[in-house]
Amino acid sequence: MAEKPRIKVPKEAKKGEVVEIKTLLAHPMESGLRKNEAGALVPRKIINRFTCEFNGTLAFACALEPAIAANPYFQFTVRVEESGTFRFTWIDDDGTAITADESITVS
Amino acid sequence: MRALSRRAALALGLGTAAALGGVDRARATPSEADEAIAKFTGGKQLGPGRISIDLPEIAENGTAVPLAVTVESPMTTADRITDVLVVADGNPNPRVAAFRFTPMSGRAEVATRIRLNATENVIVVARTGDGRFLTARKEVKVTIGGCGG
Amino acid sequence: MRSAALVAMLAAAVAAGLGVYVSPVSAQSAAPVPLAIDGDASARPWHRYHEWPQRDSARFNTLATLTSPPAPTAPRKLARPIAGDPALGAKLAADRARGGSCLACHVMGPAGGADLPGNVGPDLSEIGNAKLDDETLFNFIYDARVYNPDTLMPPWGTHGIFSDEEIGHLVAFLKTLKAPARFKSELDDPAKRPPPVEKRDNLDSMLNPAMWAVDEKAPALWTEPGPKGAACAGCHRDAAQAFKTWAATMPRWEPRLGKVLGIEEFVTRHAQATTGHAWPIESAENVGLAVYLRFLANGSTIAVDQESAPAKAAYERGEALAHHKVGQLNFACVDCHGAGRGAGKWIRGQWLGQMRGALDHYPTWRTSLQATWDVRKRFQWCQVAVWANELPPDAKEYADLELYLAAQSNGLKLNVPGIRH
Repeated sequence: MAEKPRIKVPKEAKKGEVVEIKTLLAHPMESGLRKNEAGALVPRKIINRFTCEFNGTLAFACALEPAIAANPYFQFTVRVEESGTFRFTWIDDDGTAITADESITVS
Repeated sequence: MRALSRRAALALGLGTAAALGGVDRARATPSEADEAIAKFTGGKQLGPGRISIDLPEIAENGTAVPLAVTVESPMTTADRITDVLVVADGNPNPRVAAFRFTPMSGRAEVATRIRLNATENVIVVARTGDGRFLTARKEVKVTIGGCGG
Repeated sequence: MRSAALVAMLAAAVAAGLGVYVSPVSAQSAAPVPLAIDGDASARPWHRYHEWPQRDSARFNTLATLTSPPAPTAPRKLARPIAGDPALGAKLAADRARGGSCLACHVMGPAGGADLPGNVGPDLSEIGNAKLDDETLFNFIYDARVYNPDTLMPPWGTHGIFSDEEIGHLVAFLKTLKAPARFKSELDDPAKRPPPVEKRDNLDSMLNPAMWAVDEKAPALWTEPGPKGAACAGCHRDAAQAFKTWAATMPRWEPRLGKVLGIEEFVTRHAQATTGHAWPIESAENVGLAVYLRFLANGSTIAVDQESAPAKAAYERGEALAHHKVGQLNFACVDCHGAGRGAGKWIRGQWLGQMRGALDHYPTWRTSLQATWDVRKRFQWCQVAVWANELPPDAKEYADLELYLAAQSNGLKLNVPGIRH
């Protein structure tokens, strides 16, 4: 069972405020360069894409390579003009998507 | 004894340092790093300025080096940053990440943690809304441990 | 009411560093805490973690054995002058696979590109000017104990790390060193390199994955019933209150086992006796609970008993163990971490910390390995790193050593989990 992503988003903000968001997903980011104890290369398996949408519109995205450290962490900003929901999505090499939602009240 | 199960070990990313320390793939050549940048810019010229790169001068190891990039920009529709590429010229694969900023971003800044193979340059290339490219770079010394571990 | 005030006063006195002995107040009742007394708290026979170098160093001292060959009583006489190759010597001096190589401890002019050399030993960049004869240089490398019984130099020859021919190459290289080292930047010069200052917020779950044990994993284990039908929460409903200071008084002497008990081994034996849970040392559950139990006592002043008779004896044993040379590289804990020896110096690019302040942040997240390590695993790694065989994590030698080491941090405040290289 995958770990829940860790997300820090303010619960409230003023209209037009630029809020800071922090996200962390527990994931080994297997680079494909590591050898197991038998000496064989462990195949690459990373999160290759991360997106943040707000009320359905893309706010921020990242295309990740194996050089992003294990347990990928991103801190970035979004200017909020209205209340709504952030949707965070992490996409694994194997095609699975992990999503998490956080809402914010903007006054 | 119940050692960490393999799944647990993988979940904790055990062995990534071994991957870095034990990687016998050659470092990327400077031209491989340039290729990654050229792909991003379409071969266009790179100009200086407006990019600040926050990286340690010496990283205690190359496993999870904190990186913060800020590109000065009012981030209006008329004057903004659309994309930022990060390249590490000593990694087996020099491309580290590409970030997309939008009119909703507020600021063109991002912080993350990256893997560095050895002492090398981290190169940042930013694309402006009107299709120009800016660049900056910083060298990070990756500490060699004392007793092989 | 009065006795509580007295204890509080004495505790304050300890916190003020007056060294007044305070009998650790039991977190629960005065009856002995249930412990599974039989068996070991980790696997026997002990098998090294498979990700670690698998070198078997049984020919050399461990903390429990004396197997190393004895030091020679006199320098070796060379049958003929050294005819070594300085280029090969330069390569050997920088070869990390040979026990850290010379550059781990010495600045040596251009060797290794003058890239982050260490400074535990003297700067050898101008040793070629020192007019030392070949035989002296040879013996210094072969086994420096013939000149200085207290030396930190590994006995490269006696312990079979370098052959006579290789030592010849190293001597030839040393004789070429006649000018001060030229560094590309101040960062490469150990005399100028700034010591690392730990500024990270170690209790931030976004930064320190060891905190995930505190956030989720340990609280879940706390309420999980074991085979006996009981969970930790059954007796310790309010963990935060019950364990507010307990961890700061560990490790402690346990008379029923005739050994010092650290928190990790305590968790194994106590959980087994009360809930039936099998949480051996170094299991993920054990490490998580060890982090959790200390986290609950964060901010309290470390006050390890070193005054009662058994604790005093354990302390003295631990102190002796900290001075006991182990491994093919022949190092004792104090060689790297003792004042006036390695503490405050660099081995290659790694800073050597002193003993005080070492245990206030264990278990710690290790960024280089992306794993949480308790202090027993740290001890085991230190052994393997100096080419010595490690002991099982619950070995009594490690227990005595932990008590000695923890006592060095008396008066400091617990701050767990740490985050370090």
